[in-house]
Amino acid sequence: MSRAEPPKTKGAAPYLFLMPYLLLTAVFFVYPFINAVVLTFYRTNGPRSRVFIGLDNFRYLLSDATFHTALWNTTIFAIASVCLQLPLSMALALLLNRGNDRVKGFFRLVLFSPNLVGQIFVGILFSVLFTPRYGLINRTLQSLIGWGLEERWLSNPKLVMPAIILTSLWLWVGFNMVYFLAALQGVDKSLEEAARIDGANNWQVFWHVTLPSMRHVVVFVVIMSIIGSYQLFELPVALLNSTSGFGPDNSGLTVITYLRSVAFQSGDLGLGSAVGWVVAVIIFAISVLQIRVTKVVED
Amino acid sequence: MINNFPYGKAPFWLLVMAIVSSVLLIAVSKKASERPDLILVTFTGAHYDAYRQAIPRFEREHHVKVDVELTHWSSLQSRLQNAILANTDVPDLVEMLEGSLGYFTRGPLADVGLIDLTDKIHAEGIDHRVVASRFSLWTTQGRNYGIPHDVHPVMLAYRRDIIEQLGINVNDLDTWDKFVEVGRRITKDKDGDGVIDQYMIDLPYGGSWGLILLLLQKGGQLFDKDGNVAFDSEDTAQVMQWYLHQTRSKEKIATDCGATQLLMKSMSDGLALFFITPDWRSRAYELDMPNLAGKMALMPMPAWTQGGRRTSVWGGTGLVITKRTKHPELAWELAKYLYFDKQELGQRYKKTNIIPPFKEAWDLPEFSVPNRFYSNQPIGKLYAALAPETPPTYSAAVDGLARASLDQAYSRSAEYYAVNGDAGLLGKIRAELKQSANRVREMVERDKVFHREDTP
Repeated sequence: MSRAEPPKTKGAAPYLFLMPYLLLTAVFFVYPFINAVVLTFYRTNGPRSRVFIGLDNFRYLLSDATFHTALWNTTIFAIASVCLQLPLSMALALLLNRGNDRVKGFFRLVLFSPNLVGQIFVGILFSVLFTPRYGLINRTLQSLIGWGLEERWLSNPKLVMPAIILTSLWLWVGFNMVYFLAALQGVDKSLEEAARIDGANNWQVFWHVTLPSMRHVVVFVVIMSIIGSYQLFELPVALLNSTSGFGPDNSGLTVITYLRSVAFQSGDLGLGSAVGWVVAVIIFAISVLQIRVTKVVED
Repeated sequence: MINNFPYGKAPFWLLVMAIVSSVLLIAVSKKASERPDLILVTFTGAHYDAYRQAIPRFEREHHVKVDVELTHWSSLQSRLQNAILANTDVPDLVEMLEGSLGYFTRGPLADVGLIDLTDKIHAEGIDHRVVASRFSLWTTQGRNYGIPHDVHPVMLAYRRDIIEQLGINVNDLDTWDKFVEVGRRITKDKDGDGVIDQYMIDLPYGGSWGLILLLLQKGGQLFDKDGNVAFDSEDTAQVMQWYLHQTRSKEKIATDCGATQLLMKSMSDGLALFFITPDWRSRAYELDMPNLAGKMALMPMPAWTQGGRRTSVWGGTGLVITKRTKHPELAWELAKYLYFDKQELGQRYKKTNIIPPFKEAWDLPEFSVPNRFYSNQPIGKLYAALAPETPPTYSAAVDGLARASLDQAYSRSAEYYAVNGDAGLLGKIRAELKQSANRVREMVERDKVFHREDTP
């Protein structure tokens, strides 16, 4: 069975077949992108009415204490993601890398599975676990250390961010572990053995051989974690549902929750766009910095 | 045929998929265009069930087709407003939650997608037949855009069995001072493990609805009747100080029992003995805790001062008609039928315990029926007796922000109280209230870039 010979003159046909993709990209990516830039210069009442206000949206963000709180909370969460979540993921990956394939497969599934159910489900689940007096976490703490039965994790401003970070650990540690585990399996074993023969201990082998060998994956995971942290939204909204994701004294407010509030609850799409661009610039700057630092270390 | 297609197999199947998708899209849109005469959207399951039962009679009497749809309140607000502003298809009638009218009536007058019902309400004398305070939620700039579904007067539900065992006469608890005095006596650690296991009352730890409800009872407001921010008042400061004492001090009498299953467990365990209970919540207890039937009873809220108001208000639903309806008169008839038809209201009370604002309905026999769950009290009569006293509540576009800001002021005052106690507390509360209110005012100022023709 021979394939039909394509005609020599293709005419408009290739463009016609490309049209759906180009159309979708133009409607759902190019137009919103341009519109998001334009909107930052307007005060809007939903999608219909708008008034040109120049740079006032950015001026407002610079002076708005709530936005500063949201930015601070998100940054704290991002730092916790990198400093707590990733070392834990790495530790689990190193632990699993030593086991046999069957054990490895089982624990990989177990540790990855929280990620399958999604942030909303995990948020609702943990809001029950954190329940004062009757919640599993409070009861366990009370029986183990005699403290915590009536602690209000989700109503006490000082405990809200720790609660969000704890929940995110359960959600994301296994997810990042899978990346590290895959990278560990690609590390050249002969290099590790050579280091051991030269007298290096486990820590030295990890620090000087294993980690540099998987640096590209580590950089990727760090950047993705930071980007993911700055986009944190569903988890606090589900966890702090009674305060629309804000938490007491805005202690659980993230930049994206703030964006949702101003753009879709207050109807100011202009201010919402400005917030979006600020987040984009922050993520871009951190990513560039991260890549540069990694390069310097490599050199 | 596939082999003869000049560009190969993949483009052929792409073309087939494009043609099939287009045909399906046309078929679906044709089906969607077969619209009933009216579409009503509500956000509560109880209303949805009640309206589905009531509407067939209306359809028969008017020879029309009406659809009822159920959606979640949070998606209803933003999606409906965006649909109105984007000129896409919207329902003819929509039930809204308290505080949301301001959201729909902000911006230029041309952006308001709801029909002004003021003249109809006055012309048909509805304003005289409905509890006056309930129109406040649906009024802005003196114009009325909705009709109220309910009154939602508040009483205290209590564990009658335990209260009687403790020898407390609830008739004596007619002021909050007396209530607190008794509360301090009975709030205790019964088993000596260092954890209190009997509290006088359930109040939310973070302020929230509990704080607002008590503020309204005292005469305070989030907004005044012109929509100006009004929560940085002395009333609010006094209520906040009282609330902190009852929920956070060493002599606290309140705990936060939460909602749903947590509330049921706390109520069944007797963790708290009194529960703030608007009419709609009284029905939820009946359905969720049949084990407490005959052990519960209702009493009016204690007043702030002797002889003062014995109720407050929590919640509120109203019905609006969208400007895009093709049948505004029919929509108005349906609104009146659902909200002011005595026969329907009697049936609906039996299923929901909700007191309608339509005063003529309160004489219906359904409202006098003893309720077994509440120790055979005729709770319809009890709630209805308090209904005329319910305080008005006003709406503004920044309603959500105002509530969040009030909670923020409370939270910061609570942090101060935890460190400093009563020293300088009232001053701190006043300062926090002022700061929060000013932030909301700042947002209101930003909205003024949109000129309103009906604003002086």
